[in-house]
Amino acid sequence: MESVQKRKNPVQGLRGRDNVVYLRERSIAMLKKELILRNPLMILGSKEREPIKEGEFGGVLAKAGVGKTAFLVQLALSNLLRERNVLHVSLTQPVRKVCLWYEEVFHNISQEYELNNTSELWDTILPHRFIMTFNVDDFSVARLEERLNDLTEQGIFFPQLMIIDGLPIGDESREPLAELKILAREMGFPIWFAITVSPDDALEPGKIPASFEPLSDLFEVLIGLKAAKGKISIMVMKGQRSEDAEDVFLDPATLLIRNRE
Amino acid sequence: MKRDPQKVRNIGISAHIDAGKTTLTERILYYTNRIHAIHDVKGKDGVGATMDFMELEKERGITITSAATYCEWNDHEINIIDTPGHVDFTIEVERALRVLDGGVLVLCSVGGVQSQSITVDRQMARYKVPCIAFVNKCDRSGANPMKVVEQLREKLHHNAVAMQIPIGLENDFQGVVDLVQMKAVYFEGQQGEKIRIDEIPAELKDEAEKKREELIDAASMFSEELMEAALEGEIPEDLLIDAIRIGTLKREMTPVFMGSAYKNKGVQPLLDAVTRYLPHPGEVENIALDLENDEKEVVLSPDPEKPLVSLAFKLEEGRYGQLTYIRVYQGTLRKGDFIVNSRTGKKVKVGRVVRMHANQMEDIEEIPAGYIGALFGIDCASGDTFTSPGIRYSMTSMHVPEPVISLAIVPEDNKSQQNMSKALSRFSKEDPTFRVRVDHETGDTIISGMGELHLEVYIERMKREYNAIVHTGAPQVAYRETITQRADFNYTHKKQTGGAGQYGRVAGYMEPFDGEFEFVNKIVGGAIPTEFISSVEKGFKSALEKGQLLGFPVTGIRVVINDGQAHSVDSSDTAFQAAARGAFKEGFKKAKPAILEPIMKVAVETPSEFQGAVMGTLNQRRGMILGAQDEGDSCVIEAEVPLSEMFGYSTDLRSITQGKAQFTMEFSCYRQVPKAIAEELVKKAQEKNKKAA
Repeated sequence: MESVQKRKNPVQGLRGRDNVVYLRERSIAMLKKELILRNPLMILGSKEREPIKEGEFGGVLAKAGVGKTAFLVQLALSNLLRERNVLHVSLTQPVRKVCLWYEEVFHNISQEYELNNTSELWDTILPHRFIMTFNVDDFSVARLEERLNDLTEQGIFFPQLMIIDGLPIGDESREPLAELKILAREMGFPIWFAITVSPDDALEPGKIPASFEPLSDLFEVLIGLKAAKGKISIMVMKGQRSEDAEDVFLDPATLLIRNRE
Repeated sequence: MKRDPQKVRNIGISAHIDAGKTTLTERILYYTNRIHAIHDVKGKDGVGATMDFMELEKERGITITSAATYCEWNDHEINIIDTPGHVDFTIEVERALRVLDGGVLVLCSVGGVQSQSITVDRQMARYKVPCIAFVNKCDRSGANPMKVVEQLREKLHHNAVAMQIPIGLENDFQGVVDLVQMKAVYFEGQQGEKIRIDEIPAELKDEAEKKREELIDAASMFSEELMEAALEGEIPEDLLIDAIRIGTLKREMTPVFMGSAYKNKGVQPLLDAVTRYLPHPGEVENIALDLENDEKEVVLSPDPEKPLVSLAFKLEEGRYGQLTYIRVYQGTLRKGDFIVNSRTGKKVKVGRVVRMHANQMEDIEEIPAGYIGALFGIDCASGDTFTSPGIRYSMTSMHVPEPVISLAIVPEDNKSQQNMSKALSRFSKEDPTFRVRVDHETGDTIISGMGELHLEVYIERMKREYNAIVHTGAPQVAYRETITQRADFNYTHKKQTGGAGQYGRVAGYMEPFDGEFEFVNKIVGGAIPTEFISSVEKGFKSALEKGQLLGFPVTGIRVVINDGQAHSVDSSDTAFQAAARGAFKEGFKKAKPAILEPIMKVAVETPSEFQGAVMGTLNQRRGMILGAQDEGDSCVIEAEVPLSEMFGYSTDLRSITQGKAQFTMEFSCYRQVPKAIAEELVKKAQEKNKKAA
């Protein structure tokens, strides 16, 4: 028993006085562990290590409507479960809609595990999430920084990971991206972006789409999503895949991440 | 009374507080000749707008009670329900929407889609009410109706399409260009009653053409004929109107009109739109539940000859007794008829039937299907269904939220005591979210409702309408108690001293549960005889009424009994109820009980420069900020904040934002109180109990 607890078993502390394992608590702990492990970045391997560090950029590239937001929300959830603060910035959707994404993905995951009593788990992750939305035309890095300062100076929220969804990527994007890089370095968090590629771009493992090539040097990791043959494949376009990397894809029905087997 | 249901419109006017819906209604009544003078909401003439007929409403410039009123326009009969805009009175809005066929969503051309508009829109969606939008206050500085059209698309996800463009804005607002007729419409005369149709001003021609094209594009999605006509370049007006109507009825298109009710501009075209684009009662499917047939759903037909099905949706204390607002869905409600209240089964005779115009009324003989009217002398509760004898239908139950805040009230003297009882019995009949009970321990009368303002208004009404002066205690949050882990119980109730003995043993366990309460019987082999199982359940249920931490109701608990013991002589219903209560007490203590508190969803709308400060105030109040929506010069902060921390928030918010921010709140869920605060609450409750003892 002692040794089991030392191995940081998620079930630890759930055994009652009579050595009874309470299934409800155990299933939530298992779900938590599963979600942390089964995060979208399994494709890069290295479960213990963060694929991008403070000040670094990761990008999820796909054509419109393929599942970038769902992918990033799962990435955010796996961080939230580890009690890491996630700041989700959306330039295309209102706060309520972004909340709905999280609720939907979380609901789908809970259903898959046939768990009913997940409100407790949901309540524990919510304080670690902060959503900020901007009109895409009004967005600027200076404005984002101002808002961030509002949060940090009053001790309301300190992001440990930022997600930016809906930032238009084009010829004029280098400057705001460079500013964001400085901001991420100064404030000490990595940023994941959802990037919509042109319908003409071909997405292939290890290759960066032509339209995105000029900006790719700013990104440490690039992951592509491609819908084909009834499923959405996930591929690494830039970044190191380690040996323990797993072959995963997105289920087009639920947009949840799944193992190849 | 005319009898053409196709020419009837039952509409509601919903909006954010201060968007100007009462002024708009006032103007509608003026133009439809129901009133002969216009009074402002916060008028200097001391009369106040006609729809705001309660003194308190006049004073505060807000609409509290929704008064139904009737008017005629273009040979159509329109029943209007003026609905309250403050979220504390949302039950009124919900009730109004339940009986309406169409809605006018009023938006401020400066404020745009505000937080309350989002709530109201959600309510309209819940009852599938087709709506048109009116962008009001185009004469205000900073008016931008086209931005509001955009916001309708972005924030509310409506397929909003401008039906007009403004001619001038702010101080220079003169009229509108009608994009269907492609004509300029000006409103002249002292009260804007004279409409002058003219050519479109040259400088607006290009914009009008562009917007008309957008309108045709959107409308042609609902009509192939229109699409073909558009390709040919010849678009008959009727075809365009029909296509817009189809889109609106499907809730797939929201036509947007604009104007300034205060400056008497744009109201008449809005009335035209109500008759053109909103549905008549025959176009709306209404469903009742057949109580004789296992609550099977029955589709009602707006046929005046069929058996009567009607819904009492609002009660008011009038000069001549209780006034019951009623909507007839099927059949005809005639003076002198006998009707049956489906809830109580009571048969009553219909006395006086009236049609309401704010606080004036007109006697009528009957209310046919599709119409709204009012009855006198009918004793019922709000939400009751009345039918012809022979059928027992009930209209779909209305969604009534549980109250979240309570207040102890003490009458000043004996006279006030009597009047207060009268007032409370009336209010609780009128408003299902307003509850009254007596605390058995303190003897205090406790009123509960949906928010601070909700209760404040009733206290004021008691004083003004019933001459009952009451003193109030501090608001009390409706906490709940629950358990957080599984715990076993095994309790024996034994009493064998004198008289008949009592014996019962109940064993099993309790565990957290997502719903309110579940009782599971896993007794095998008759350890507890079957006839006592219901006694055990009853005992547990009675124990739930008062938790052991603060004395609030217990929720979220599953009780499983799997063992027990009975005595052939001493076991009884009473003994097993007592045993269950004892078992509950034993298990509850072991199951790590916790206190739950109501959490409110709060949306604060503030100029951007105060965003940080506002977030600070929410954070200080244990608020969890869900997000901040940046909208250029302003932003909306959404947060979840415990109700207990929201007292006095409006004052705080005003002072830190120079009165420029506003907030709405509604109940969201119950959540566990942090340990330190829970301990403090328990300590306080214990002290109070000691004092009482």
